[in-house]
Amino acid sequence: MKEILKALINVFLKMPQGFVVTLKHVFKKPVTLDYPREKKPMAPRYRGRHYLERYEDGTERCVCCGLCAAACPADAIYMEPEETPNGERKAKVYEINLLRCIFCGFCEEACPEEAIFLGQEYEFSDFNRDSFIWRKEDMLVPHPRKDNPFKRIIRRVRRVYGVPDAAR
Amino acid sequence: MSTSTTTQPAVKMVTLTINDQSVTVPKGTTVLQAALGAGIHIPTFCWHPKLKSVGACRICYVEIEKMPKLQVSCATEATDGMVVKTESDIVKRGRKAVLEFILANHPLDCPTCDKGGECDLQNLTFAHGLDDSRFDFLKRRHIVPGVPSTFDDLRIGPEIMLNRNRCILCYKCVRSNKEAFGEYDIGAFERGNAMEINAAPGEQVANPFSGNLVEICPVGALTNSDWRYKIRVWLTQTTPSIDIFNSSGSNILFYKEDHKNRIFRTISRRNDEIDDGWITDVARYGYQLVHSPDRLQKPLMKKGSKQVPVEWEEAVAFVARRLAEIDDTKGCVCIGGLASPTLDLDSLHSFSKFMRKVIGTNNLDFRIDYRSLPEKPDSAFSTLSSQPFTIAEIDTSDVIFVFGSDLVKEHPNEYLRIRKARNFGRPLVYSVNSFNVKSADVADREFIYAPGTEEVFINGLCLAAIEENPGLSGADGLKRKISPADLNSAAKTCGVSAEDLKALARTLINGKKISFIVGDQVSLSRDREVIAAALCNLNRLVGITSRGQMAALARYADSIGAEKLGLIPNPHPDVKRALTDLWGGFPEMAGYHTEGMFSQMLKGELDAMVILGANPVAMYPDHEAVAETFEKLDFLVVADLFETETTAMADVVLPLASWTEFAGRYVNLEGRIQKAERAIKPLYESKPAYAILADIAAAARKPLFSSAREREEEIEKVLACTTVRPWPGDYLDVRPPAIDKDPAYPIMLIIGDDPHHRCYVTEKAASLVKFCSDAYIELSPELAEKFKVEDGDAVRVESKYGKLMAPVKVSRVLEGDVVFLPRNFSVTRANSLVSRKARIDWVRINKVSG
Ligand code: SF4
Ligand code: SF4
Ligand code: SF4
Ligand code: FES
Repeated sequence: MKEILKALINVFLKMPQGFVVTLKHVFKKPVTLDYPREKKPMAPRYRGRHYLERYEDGTERCVCCGLCAAACPADAIYMEPEETPNGERKAKVYEINLLRCIFCGFCEEACPEEAIFLGQEYEFSDFNRDSFIWRKEDMLVPHPRKDNPFKRIIRRVRRVYGVPDAAR
Repeated sequence: MSTSTTTQPAVKMVTLTINDQSVTVPKGTTVLQAALGAGIHIPTFCWHPKLKSVGACRICYVEIEKMPKLQVSCATEATDGMVVKTESDIVKRGRKAVLEFILANHPLDCPTCDKGGECDLQNLTFAHGLDDSRFDFLKRRHIVPGVPSTFDDLRIGPEIMLNRNRCILCYKCVRSNKEAFGEYDIGAFERGNAMEINAAPGEQVANPFSGNLVEICPVGALTNSDWRYKIRVWLTQTTPSIDIFNSSGSNILFYKEDHKNRIFRTISRRNDEIDDGWITDVARYGYQLVHSPDRLQKPLMKKGSKQVPVEWEEAVAFVARRLAEIDDTKGCVCIGGLASPTLDLDSLHSFSKFMRKVIGTNNLDFRIDYRSLPEKPDSAFSTLSSQPFTIAEIDTSDVIFVFGSDLVKEHPNEYLRIRKARNFGRPLVYSVNSFNVKSADVADREFIYAPGTEEVFINGLCLAAIEENPGLSGADGLKRKISPADLNSAAKTCGVSAEDLKALARTLINGKKISFIVGDQVSLSRDREVIAAALCNLNRLVGITSRGQMAALARYADSIGAEKLGLIPNPHPDVKRALTDLWGGFPEMAGYHTEGMFSQMLKGELDAMVILGANPVAMYPDHEAVAETFEKLDFLVVADLFETETTAMADVVLPLASWTEFAGRYVNLEGRIQKAERAIKPLYESKPAYAILADIAAAARKPLFSSAREREEEIEKVLACTTVRPWPGDYLDVRPPAIDKDPAYPIMLIIGDDPHHRCYVTEKAASLVKFCSDAYIELSPELAEKFKVEDGDAVRVESKYGKLMAPVKVSRVLEGDVVFLPRNFSVTRANSLVSRKARIDWVRINKVSG
């Protein structure tokens, strides 16, 4: 008899309590993201896919010095320099193999010209291996740049280290 | 006139203490060299082992006890009892300060600088410098007006770029240019903070040794277009090699990248016994021809009237079959072969065995551009050219006699040696030629004899020697054999006064150590035998070789090797014996040399020709006759790097691998065997000559060697025979032949290499072409005035045998009725003007109007 009573209480009192919790959650904001329709902004110092900076006037910052390739623990960077008509040094070929890259950020740290940065981009899956070799043209920021979200960060870094933004 | 000869009494020694280590060195040594000898490293910028010290950079500071201040070790002489410290705190502080001062004006543009990774300043700053910068003012900047470059680079020569901001003013470039090369096209201008290095006003740094300046610049101030912005030095590997454009065989180092299978640059690999660390631009940039897009890529075979690419197997089988056919129908006397003396020993020996063993003929030669070769095998000239010669002995000679050679063009390395001997000793240097030469600037006196009177001049020298010292043995015997037999008429004929001849003879008699260099004016002369006989007489009379050395210098990288391996129809008897022993036989027939083969070809008695790496149609005297000769051939197979005038006439053309693409050994003019390692894999389908010959022999079912080992052992055995021919036992007859001169052709033509080119291949090296891209007629200012021409005007040069047109270059050295024409350019082939039969090439020129 006692057991039957207990069961009845469970059914009519505790179960609705549970339902109330469920019901409450139906009206709450969800914690998950509706990826890929919805994306989460990454932390400012997230190390995603690389991009190559330009000077204000659009010239590439990278001079193809080879230090990033020398610093790279995964040997993911390949480059070939060339001479511009002005006798300056610039990259003819600059490639990063994103399959080899371990996103350590050493290249960014090594770069004396502040040319290479690891960005926020993390979506670069593809169907063949070749498409993971990113060329210079793929990584250069567009010029004139459209609303570069990183500009502020770069400016701040420069300020902290006291590097003037080389006006060209 | 005494110099430091090797046999001098013992030099005084001094003992000093460096870092608690006792070091004993000869008096006069600097503290720096004493330390280096003891294995103690002292950093340097401005010091160079082959230049005089100037003490300009002060990084080599050391502390010397009892001296109040730090001393520069490179300019301080070591004395007895000196106590030197190289690593004390005060020395370290001094170095830091010096580096700080240097960096005060040195831009921090290492990322864009070509020297990054091998820069002395980078390395020393890393090792000894301050971690931080204390300067916050603007650096000195030399801006190039009109060039919108952020680096302020300035082109000061066809190959050389200068960045004055990076220059640390060590003066190494200016000093080496002046001291070692005798050139003044780069200098230091202004003073104080504004001081700068620059090309001399209105000039370009384009001397034939200019590449060395880039190599010794301790920072990235001087760079060359060859290496500039191609690759970072730490990504390259190095391969030791040999310069094959020069008979001295300067030691070089290739920087290459294995994945790309590409050589990126050449630097010197200092060998004090040969090159002192200086190499010519031809050696430095010559490697570029290996990567020329014009390289032959596949074997070509004539089908119909056109040469079409075929596979190796087909070409090889065809060559083997055709040679066998001709051998069967006409006999092996109808097959001949020429091999270039720039090939390696393996190839040359394979060639000799191929011709003699597989084909069975003695028709083979390596002398690809001599006129009228001697009929006799043991001639006076072969004696002269087989004499031993040691490059380093030039340093300590007290009399240096250069006879008939424009050293800068023919033997640049020896030219630098003579200059060094003059810098560090006091030798008497004489340059004797039939025309004025650039290399006479190292000479105390230059003598010009009348064209074609070499033997009269030497006779005159003998007669003068007899007059100076009548006691010389056999004087009467000699006088009977030579004509003219009296000094005055000899002097009159050769145009050098009797007094001068006597003075020269005196120095030859009194010299303690003589280096007597005989050059191309003799080697290439039609009458080289007569001249050589005169030189043999001179040596017998005065005894030059008993107090030094005298030789006609080898002309190509492996000439001596070819001679030693018996690549002539009638080799030295010892070589012949060795070859007979090795092969169990030797062709009976006499064999024809190059000249003989050509006349046989013309007669239609020689039907097939195998040519390795040579271009006789363009290089052998008398272009038209040679071309006609080659047209008569039934079958011609040529292996070469490029398509040339000769390959154009060939039935089969085989792509040859260059000396960078396989390991080979070469014998330089001293007889020194040196190895050039393989730097890259053979490009395209090219193969080394020895491999090609082995393939053809295998296709003919007569394999050459069972293994590479066997080949090497055979070479070893043949090289072991001496080929030095003894001086003749008596005076030789010297009767000067008549000189053919037609008043219609009044000007003497000299043909040779441009200082930036060598033979017919270097026009494929892009950097060398920047120095000189086209043939020119170099003529004396007198002639220029006479014909009213200036630099760049076109003139027509005409000889009895042909004519051509070329732009004028007014010479700085030539005088009188002489013109020079380089033979290196395919558009203007100099050999069309000359004949095989003439002693002197006489031409006339006239201006092309309009
Ligand atoms: S992030 Fe690291 S692994 Fe990736 S390219 Fe840069 S240095 Fe190499
Ligand atoms: S990205 Fe930076 S470190 Fe890499 S080559 Fe360019 S300039 Fe040098
Ligand atoms: S250019 Fe180079 S070698 Fe010449 S003075 Fe300057 S640093 Fe020295
Ligand atoms: S190396 Fe001694 S002062 Fe420059």
